[in-house]
Amino acid sequence: MPALFANDQLTTEYRFRGKDGAYRWVHDESRLLRDATGRPIEVVGSWVDVTARREAEVSLRAGEERLRLLVGSVRDYAIYMLDPDGHVRSWNAGAQHIKGYTEAEILGQHFSRFYTPEDVAGGRPAAALRATAAGGRFEEENWRVRKDGSRFWADVVMTAVRDDRGALVGFAKVTRDLTERKRAEQALRSYAAQLEVANKELEAFSYSVSHDLRTPLRSLDGFSQALLEDYHDRLDDTGRDFLQRVRAASQRMGTLIDDLLSLSRVTRGDLQVAAVDLSALAAAVATELKKSDPERAITFAIAPDLVARADAGLMRVVLQNLLGNAWKFTGRRPAAHVEVGVMAHDGRRAFFVRDDGAGFDMAYAAKLFGTFQRLHAAAEFPGSGIGLATVQRIIHRHGGQVWAEGAPDRGATFYFTL
Amino acid sequence: MILPHEVEILLVEDSAHDEELTLRALKERNIANQVFVARDGAEALDFFFGDGSHPWHEIGIVPRVVLLDLNLPKVDGLEVLRRLKADERTRALPVIVLTSSREEPDIAAAYRLGAKSYIVKPVDFESFARAVSDVGLYWVLLNELPR
Amino acid sequence: MHDRSILLVEDNPDDEALTRRALAKNNIQNEIVVARDGAEALDWLFGTGPHAGRAATPELVLLDLKLPKVDGLEVLRRIRANPSTRLLPVVILTSSREEKDVVTGYGLGANSYIRKPVDFGQFVEAVRQLGLYWLVLNEPPPRPDAA
Repeated sequence: MPALFANDQLTTEYRFRGKDGAYRWVHDESRLLRDATGRPIEVVGSWVDVTARREAEVSLRAGEERLRLLVGSVRDYAIYMLDPDGHVRSWNAGAQHIKGYTEAEILGQHFSRFYTPEDVAGGRPAAALRATAAGGRFEEENWRVRKDGSRFWADVVMTAVRDDRGALVGFAKVTRDLTERKRAEQALRSYAAQLEVANKELEAFSYSVSHDLRTPLRSLDGFSQALLEDYHDRLDDTGRDFLQRVRAASQRMGTLIDDLLSLSRVTRGDLQVAAVDLSALAAAVATELKKSDPERAITFAIAPDLVARADAGLMRVVLQNLLGNAWKFTGRRPAAHVEVGVMAHDGRRAFFVRDDGAGFDMAYAAKLFGTFQRLHAAAEFPGSGIGLATVQRIIHRHGGQVWAEGAPDRGATFYFTL
Repeated sequence: MILPHEVEILLVEDSAHDEELTLRALKERNIANQVFVARDGAEALDFFFGDGSHPWHEIGIVPRVVLLDLNLPKVDGLEVLRRLKADERTRALPVIVLTSSREEPDIAAAYRLGAKSYIVKPVDFESFARAVSDVGLYWVLLNELPR
Repeated sequence: MHDRSILLVEDNPDDEALTRRALAKNNIQNEIVVARDGAEALDWLFGTGPHAGRAATPELVLLDLKLPKVDGLEVLRRIRANPSTRLLPVVILTSSREEKDVVTGYGLGANSYIRKPVDFGQFVEAVRQLGLYWLVLNEPPPRPDAA
């Protein structure tokens, strides 16, 4: 009542206990009316039932309290408030954990101390405040400094806090320490860069191999041939035989270099994966082989509709090698059979190329796919020993497996999955 | 070494007679399987720049060398050449002009527009067959093409 | 000067001798001019340096890629940039068949790209086809002075 008499009006909220025993909150606006001499004559007032609003406010305050406790206990995020000038106004456990300051140490300090000296000199703290005030929100990833002077890679989100009338009351800041992720990214980038350098070197190396190693071979072969032609009658049979051997060896070296290059080529470049008709591809390769020696009695039985998702160019190389081997190792059969098909293997489709040729001893099966590994004498079946290594690389690049079964003189079967 | 089956030739030729002779000459060299024929300039362009509805698109044929006649219905050969050279996707594709015209302005224009070579079709059959087969052998077996 | 010479740009004397031998075996009697590096080739074509005032246009350029001083691709680029040699037939004749060389070579306007086989018999055959194609079959571009 003294307040009412002092100001002639009073606004209060208080509660009643109703007839049903429940409390009701009312908002009371009272005005004191006076007569001409200033003597109070009566009080005019209004009550509004504000129970619902009061209850909401209570739960809001409880919510705010819970939120404060929650924020206070978060350790992985520094969550704190700044005043409009950038002084720290609140501090949570996460902020202490990440930045190293206790609440008592940091309250009232300016937030620019979290920045690196370079950033402070560059005016970045002030710029961040301006940007947040202007845009409502500001985000960045950058280096920040802990209390002990060490740096960490921070993900920072800053939000402007305004009152009901829109006046800036401060800033809420959430900061995460992403140093580990940043280090992992940097390590990854540095590995990628190293890998790129290694790839470039490898490419330069194979370029050099393909160019520089072939050039002297041409001289060996060319001048041997020139000797054979121009000095034919001055050489005896042994001399001519020696020169033929030089030529054969240089040509073989040329083939080796080409095969090595194609082996290195299959590991370079991206896989162009699409649906590939292996039946059609095998048929095309078989046609080419037959063209190379139409006299050979050999039948190719190719299962229809063998379709797989793979790189068509590389699958052609695989089939050229496998069918080429089947062609080569059946060379001594009066009538040879080669089969291309598919079967189930451990729940996956395994494609196979089967021949009834010279075969191989399973004791050496593990050696088949090694570079330069050969199970037959060159005089018996020529080859560089690179073909199956190339096949294996291609199949592995596709995430598949390749293996072989065979027995001497009983043929060989090569299987692959994709 | 490029194997013949890896090469796809696009022959742009409106004369059925010349087409037959060309295919026959190439067949003797075992390279006829890889030849596809467009019978006018529009069909050739549609193949490269069409909406993909051309049947060749569906079977995934990508020609790697073009044998181009100059005197063609709808879109003439020089215009086909100009369009192929103006587009990033087909610029590197070697185009060999194979035509009856020995006119200097045609020769000059073809080279200026980026033809790799200009072959005048011989008139008599035997020379024609030999020339086509030599051209086919050269571009398919000897010459290296972009993959 | 208009002549029927072949400019062979080749730094390796063995390859030069073998190429001469292969040309001779195929009765290709055009004069062979050899430039042993890219700079010499450009001097010869443009009449600069030791060849000042004597620019010459050959019938055909056989161009190796790996060359001292100015490499083959740069020689090709300069040939195509000069009006007097812009249409001159240039065949890259080199040891390697690296995809990026093939693509760059065609991109810079090489007429053809041939990989030298190791086997001399195959090399002779390649030179035969090459000579037949570019010196007989192909209709050369008009000479700059005539055009």
